[in-house]
Amino acid sequence: MIRSSAIRIPFRYAAGTAGSRFLAALRDEQRILGTRCTSCARLLVPLRAFCPACGIEMLEEVEVGPGGTLQSWTLRADGTAFALVLLDGASTGIVHRLLGAAGEARCGLRVQARFAVDRRGGILDIAGFEPAQGGAA
Amino acid sequence: MNPVAVIGTGQTRHARARDDASQPELVREAAARALDDAGIRPRDIDAVVIANMELFEGRAWPELWVGEAAFAAGKPCLKVATGGTSGTSGCIAGFHQVASGLFDIVLVVGFEKHSEGHTQTGMTLTDPYWDRAVASGAVGNFALSVSQYMAERGVTELQAAQVAVKARRNATRNPHAHLQMPAITVEEVLASRPLAHPLRLLDMCPQSDGACAIVVASGDKARKLNPRPAWVKATATRHEQPYIGDIDRRLITMRTLRDAAREAYASAGIREPLKELDVAEIYEPVSYAELAWYEALGFCAEGEAGRLIEDGVTEMDGELPVNPSGGVLSTNPVGASGVIRVAEAALQIHGRGGDRQVEGARTALATGYGVYAWADVIVLADRP
Amino acid sequence: MSEPILVPIEMDQSWRYAATAAMARFCEGLKECRIEALRCEGCGRRYLPPRPVCGNCHLLLRDWVPVRDEGRLAAWTVVHVPILDARSGRTREAPYGMGLIRLDGADTTLNHYVAEHDPSRLAIGLRVRAVWRERLEGAIDDILHFEVLR
Repeated sequence: MIRSSAIRIPFRYAAGTAGSRFLAALRDEQRILGTRCTSCARLLVPLRAFCPACGIEMLEEVEVGPGGTLQSWTLRADGTAFALVLLDGASTGIVHRLLGAAGEARCGLRVQARFAVDRRGGILDIAGFEPAQGGAA
Repeated sequence: MNPVAVIGTGQTRHARARDDASQPELVREAAARALDDAGIRPRDIDAVVIANMELFEGRAWPELWVGEAAFAAGKPCLKVATGGTSGTSGCIAGFHQVASGLFDIVLVVGFEKHSEGHTQTGMTLTDPYWDRAVASGAVGNFALSVSQYMAERGVTELQAAQVAVKARRNATRNPHAHLQMPAITVEEVLASRPLAHPLRLLDMCPQSDGACAIVVASGDKARKLNPRPAWVKATATRHEQPYIGDIDRRLITMRTLRDAAREAYASAGIREPLKELDVAEIYEPVSYAELAWYEALGFCAEGEAGRLIEDGVTEMDGELPVNPSGGVLSTNPVGASGVIRVAEAALQIHGRGGDRQVEGARTALATGYGVYAWADVIVLADRP
Repeated sequence: MSEPILVPIEMDQSWRYAATAAMARFCEGLKECRIEALRCEGCGRRYLPPRPVCGNCHLLLRDWVPVRDEGRLAAWTVVHVPILDARSGRTREAPYGMGLIRLDGADTTLNHYVAEHDPSRLAIGLRVRAVWRERLEGAIDDILHFEVLR
């Protein structure tokens, strides 16, 4: 005997101090922000409220990208591609969509962020990363 | 077993909605304060326990997102998700880790952000065959048990209202507490909106956003770091059968709390709790539950709980102040609520209770309550 | 800080749960308005709902016993918070009665609706009887509610 049971719950998550600053910068300024730890000098992206390694509340706000390097990528069966991108200046990579690069994707490819036209203060205010104009690293 | 003590505590400002802080930031607020209070640095922490009901925030692995905020990156980290007892069971897990001799300093952080989801719906996700079609929710379930308690033990709505007033008045002396109701009266409680007969709005605990952390240390380290460590004298935990209908007259029998208290008192050498305890932080999800816990914890004889509240025995100036913090009735981020009980009991021993300090508190009780009838009992004292 | 941003995400999940063998038999019985409990050979407790083991004795439960669809209120309340009726998809209008019912032949109680919402007309000990729906699906809410026998 099998019983199906469904649930639907709307959640609304607080992006918090750091997250709100990061998302607002995407939405309003089309800028990607990170924070540099004043102790270990690592540049963390997205912007954080504290350094996980040093445990301190840092932190110097620094713009990164929009260009970066493809550290890794993968293609799903349905054709969508994901990228692990190290934005210029950053110490940590971010995962996002890889746009229109299926043919030429390879580790080390130069990519750049493309911002969405309709931006709402979410991570998809970046539509994805596409091969940089001017080609290879 | 090695001696174990709570040497530091930290809490957030608890509120209906902390939209200013993400889950990691909320955890960080409490964890950083606890480290500060204990006088230790992140690298001094050997292991971390996170207490949280992941379903209530609807994201998998709370310890993934908030772990680094609790200084757990690169460290051993466990999560405890046992309803209301998440916090107290999480603290007990921390105590066991240190008592084993394998870890010297452990951080326990409990948190919840009820405002981000819909807890009442989440709570319906029990047995799909039996429970879900006939849900009366947390309030309805309590109300059923209260009808039995009132019929058999004669407790009254007025006595329950006195508990509700005591809690909110005590909370006014606690800067962290969520509900601040300095002018509350029993009339106001008795006139508040009915939820499920006989429970009214002001008989019930709120849902809060908040976090609370404690630092647990082994004997030598504890003595070096805190002039008055809160030593863990005893801990006991009991779980139960799966359905509310399995438990006969829940608030009256409450075998889990009674058994856990019996075990903890025996370990701590307590024979007369009312006399030997100086302060108690007990987990009371509704006003009537506090009365039932007085009897289950042996503060009074069976049927005498109403008299205890009427005679002011559990008020701040009574023989055994119960919930100087304002209790769960004033602040309830579920994953944190149990940690708050332990932290508030520890604060009393530390002598850092501020306006809610019970003078000369040397032995403190902290209890947890979860789901239908799970129970934790912890005894803290100023000597190991 | 800049104005706090809240990220909305809806959880929309469904699951398929396998019943225990005991629950499967119990639910099949409901289709014929038949209620059964499982009796522990150790402590004698008659369990509703049926389940694989007695939690106290740790013995497997195998002894099926009949249970009437009638019993006594062991507890009651009147709920004022409207709740969604899972079967109809409509809100169950408040106030509505609820009870813990000890059916004749069982030792545990059943949490279910009671067709009475005047607190002055509800009491522990009242006899109640199940009112079954027209269409039985083999679920505990094949019982629409319990009516008080006066």
